[in-house]
Amino acid sequence: MERKNNYKAWLYLAPILIFIFLFTIFPIINTFIISFLKNYNYATGANEGFTFENYGLILGITERIPGVSESKMLDFIRYALPNTLLITFVSVPISVILALVISILLNKIKVLHDLFQTIFFLPYVTNTIAVGMVFAIIFSNTGLFNNIFGLGNVNWVQEGLGSTWGKCMFVLCLYVIWTGLPFKILIFSSALHNIDQQYYDAARIDATPKWKTDLKIVLPLISPQILYITITSFITGFKEYNAIIGLFNRSYTINPNVHDLYTVVYYIYDQIQGTNGTRHLEYAAAGAVVLFVIILIFTLIQMKVAKKRVHY
Amino acid sequence: MKELEITTHLTLIVPGKNRSVKNAEKRDKILHGIFLAIVYIFIIIFAFVVLLPFYYMIAASFMVEDQLNSGAFFPSLANIFETIANNYTHTISNPSFPYGELLLNTLIVGIVTTASSLLVTILSAFAFAKLHFKGKEVLFTIFLATMMIPGEMMAITNFTTMANLGFVSADQNRLQTYLALILPFVSNVFYIYLLRQTFMQIPNELYLASKVDGKSDWQYLWKVMVPLSSSTLITIFIMNFIESWNSYVWPNLVILNDDYNVLSIALRSTTFQVLEHEVWRPVYTQQMAATVLTTVPLLLLFIFFRKYIMRGVERAGIKG
Amino acid sequence: MEIKLVALTKKYPGDVKKGIKDTVAVDNLSIDIKDGELLGLLGPSGCGKSTTLYMIAGLKDPTSGEIYFDDEDVTDLEAEKRGIGLVFQNYALYPHMTVYKNIAFPLTNLRVSAPKKAYKALSYKLILDVISDRERLKKATLKSEIDGKITKDNAALYIAYEYSISKYLAKKIFSLGLHDDNNKDKVDEYKTYFEKKLQEEKEKINSKQKKIDDNFVYLDENNNPLIVKRKLTKDEIDRLILDVARLVQIDEYLDRKPAELSGGQQQRVAIARALVKKPRVLLLDEPLSNLDARLRIKTREEIKRIQRETNITTIFVTHDQEEAMSICDDIVVMKDGKMMQFGAPQDVYKNPSDLFVAKFLGNPPINVFKGYIKDDAVFIGDEKIMHLDHKENYRDCYVGIRPEAFIFEHDKEYHLTLNIDSIQSTGKDTSLICSHPQFVGDQLKVVIDSDSNPVLGKKDFALKYSKVYLFDMKDEKRIEL
Repeated sequence: MERKNNYKAWLYLAPILIFIFLFTIFPIINTFIISFLKNYNYATGANEGFTFENYGLILGITERIPGVSESKMLDFIRYALPNTLLITFVSVPISVILALVISILLNKIKVLHDLFQTIFFLPYVTNTIAVGMVFAIIFSNTGLFNNIFGLGNVNWVQEGLGSTWGKCMFVLCLYVIWTGLPFKILIFSSALHNIDQQYYDAARIDATPKWKTDLKIVLPLISPQILYITITSFITGFKEYNAIIGLFNRSYTINPNVHDLYTVVYYIYDQIQGTNGTRHLEYAAAGAVVLFVIILIFTLIQMKVAKKRVHY
Repeated sequence: MKELEITTHLTLIVPGKNRSVKNAEKRDKILHGIFLAIVYIFIIIFAFVVLLPFYYMIAASFMVEDQLNSGAFFPSLANIFETIANNYTHTISNPSFPYGELLLNTLIVGIVTTASSLLVTILSAFAFAKLHFKGKEVLFTIFLATMMIPGEMMAITNFTTMANLGFVSADQNRLQTYLALILPFVSNVFYIYLLRQTFMQIPNELYLASKVDGKSDWQYLWKVMVPLSSSTLITIFIMNFIESWNSYVWPNLVILNDDYNVLSIALRSTTFQVLEHEVWRPVYTQQMAATVLTTVPLLLLFIFFRKYIMRGVERAGIKG
Repeated sequence: MEIKLVALTKKYPGDVKKGIKDTVAVDNLSIDIKDGELLGLLGPSGCGKSTTLYMIAGLKDPTSGEIYFDDEDVTDLEAEKRGIGLVFQNYALYPHMTVYKNIAFPLTNLRVSAPKKAYKALSYKLILDVISDRERLKKATLKSEIDGKITKDNAALYIAYEYSISKYLAKKIFSLGLHDDNNKDKVDEYKTYFEKKLQEEKEKINSKQKKIDDNFVYLDENNNPLIVKRKLTKDEIDRLILDVARLVQIDEYLDRKPAELSGGQQQRVAIARALVKKPRVLLLDEPLSNLDARLRIKTREEIKRIQRETNITTIFVTHDQEEAMSICDDIVVMKDGKMMQFGAPQDVYKNPSDLFVAKFLGNPPINVFKGYIKDDAVFIGDEKIMHLDHKENYRDCYVGIRPEAFIFEHDKEYHLTLNIDSIQSTGKDTSLICSHPQFVGDQLKVVIDSDSNPVLGKKDFALKYSKVYLFDMKDEKRIEL
């Protein structure tokens, strides 16, 4: 029976193996290789051999025209990477803390609990592009935001039409926080829900003030989920792209050569799509590998911290 | 040696007999009421912020331009039906936003991706959960490891693959476009993981019993395992469908022929505008009508399958 | 402290729309619990015993009825103000805190009425007392040696126990290094130093026009100790923890996390956490249910010992009659929210008031037969098993016969004939699995001396009448004849 299962199992696995090899495993290896090919032509596969230059180029070290320092490509190192880190390190802590606060509050109510839980989950289902466009309307110079807060004619989202990099980043972080909340709230809520009632009873018997119960007992009890959420949010933060497209569109600047709202993933897709008519998949590949390394580091940190945290 | 003698002097403060317990109780109840009221106020404020974009999307599509441009919160009720009709007819009659066509493309791509992915997932999850074969653990670990790798790494090569197959070109036909959109998303390791967990919870006795009854593995999978796992399967189907519906990056790369466009691409690329004094001016009320048309089908899906979606996402979170 | 429950009732309202009826978890329960008593609430699951416990704790509100602690009505008092200790079924130890912190946690919330003390002066006095006898200090320190090594933490623990001082103070004393023979001559140096310090402190207090007594307690105008409401100090908390840790014998594990302890040790920590704040009542909710059989017997003795030593009124909830019988001073047998019987375990066992109690107590359980009373005798089937000294009206009844009530060898006139189906010997005694047409229940079990030599087949047994009970067929109440 064991042996019979053996070949049969591979029959069941055949479809997934074909797909996963063609569209996951092979691409990972191939992209890694492309990142080391000079002047790679995606249509013909032609290239000029092995090189580290792609990394040098996107990281702004190598000059495209030797000797001319102005020919360095600085979009990645000057905009994409700093913007990505900024978005991540601003939005993740805020949204994690906000989600915790909302979940803890939500855990305290019974009436309408399910309704609010559903409301807070709603953004998870929505189209990031579509709601990004709504945010853009709300934050436009004649929009609702200015109207509510009486700010006059401030343009938040249209760079070149009055907005600046800073204002755009502000709205972007706000939007990223908004889109990140539902998943976090749901996970925290279910973690809170799963805490044994006995812990609350024990705290009550011991005359623990409510704030102290939340801070000293409840939070430590859900610390594994907090850690998990924090790390996964960092990883999603590093891959931010749709929010920017939704808010600012691809043609957000008057000057097509200014890319100060680039993120790492935005940069990668712009290289695939081709900024000036030519697609540079080798640059995109190098960017993707850099992204992978960043994510790998964070995943390793998670595993390390999680190990320490298993027994609390 | 003298002792610290804490124990002997220690008395708990407990309310004395003369202190009115009833009054204390009353005060505690009032305090608790105030506390609860504050909690509700905060929750309602947060809920308002979360709902605001949804509300404003719909409200804006019910407004005339001047209202929207003055940052109004409520659409004016005067002539509201005419305004709505006007906004929406203009939106769907925009040549770049052929709503019916877009909806059809998005639906076909979503359903075919989801259905084929589900089929492949069921087969492989069954093999991983119930069958014995050499290298099972190693293979599954490799599968899981691929989850860690950012999708952008796959996208680059997948793009060249699709281009080399001739699926990505300005004169791509309908089938080619669909295939380019669907093929890379048939395999999804996370769903295999999720379904394997469900399959593993089904007691092995059922498997042995069906063997005794002379059922083949194939019959057992479809007659027993699949029906028993229906709630997980629905969860996977819906989550997968939502993902496909909302995807922007990949369709934006591979759809070069606008005839076969999908909703989120058309939504972002269409400029709703009017010619005024020989200058094209964007009309945001129509744009908002388009976002409503893009978002509402999903919201309906969410409302009907709320439990499945939330349960699925919860499970996704617990895996960490 | 005495506890009085008066007509305590807990109803869970049903839902008329969904067709769910009201359920009564606890029905009109009145119990008086004596000071320092260990009371067992005993009954099958769902009988309302845990609900009763939670109402005493204040975690559940009674629908009606009152709860008194001594003369004080605590019915409407919040749980946190009742001053009770509760040991949860799953212990509910905080997994992220060490044992020490778990036990300390209730104390950090506590406000106490306690004398105000001059802590600094007191600590100098304590140090002086300790170092005045270097040999004793040395002995205590050396006791802490593990594998030839003396660590500060461990030594401090031993010094703390030896002198009943806090671990923090003990650490300070240890770091003076006086246990080391090389520092012998430093003792006087330190003595002078701390005496000077103590004197300075006393002068400081005097200069503030305040008075203290010999125990460094501040005095008021009338020279009475000054009692203030305050939080406990770190040293006081430490002292309390060390005391209770020693009482429940977990002093070795104070730095561990609960997950690193066995079930029995976790149980002790839970008890320590409940006891450390000197509760007025100790409540235990199925405290042994998570332990294996061997540990259960050990732990229940332990609970008994701790209760005896602290003399705290204790209420113990269990579904295991053996547990309750073995350690409780009194038991309450409950069924469907009602008290069936109250009394000392042996009294209840010997004099069950109804069939339920008779069936619930005793292992192996009582054997129940259908019988009847006719004229001046009790019959099972055709057999007359008991003679009465007066005439009664005919009535059907249940006859309950304890397994140990059967006499194997006898020359009695009245007897009961059973069919012996199998024989099990445990060494101490012999169990016979029997059958009888009038028997109602799962298994008819007879326990006899291991000296007897039973054989399979029919055998007549005489009965010890003190262990035979008659119950009414309808209301299952005991029939006293």
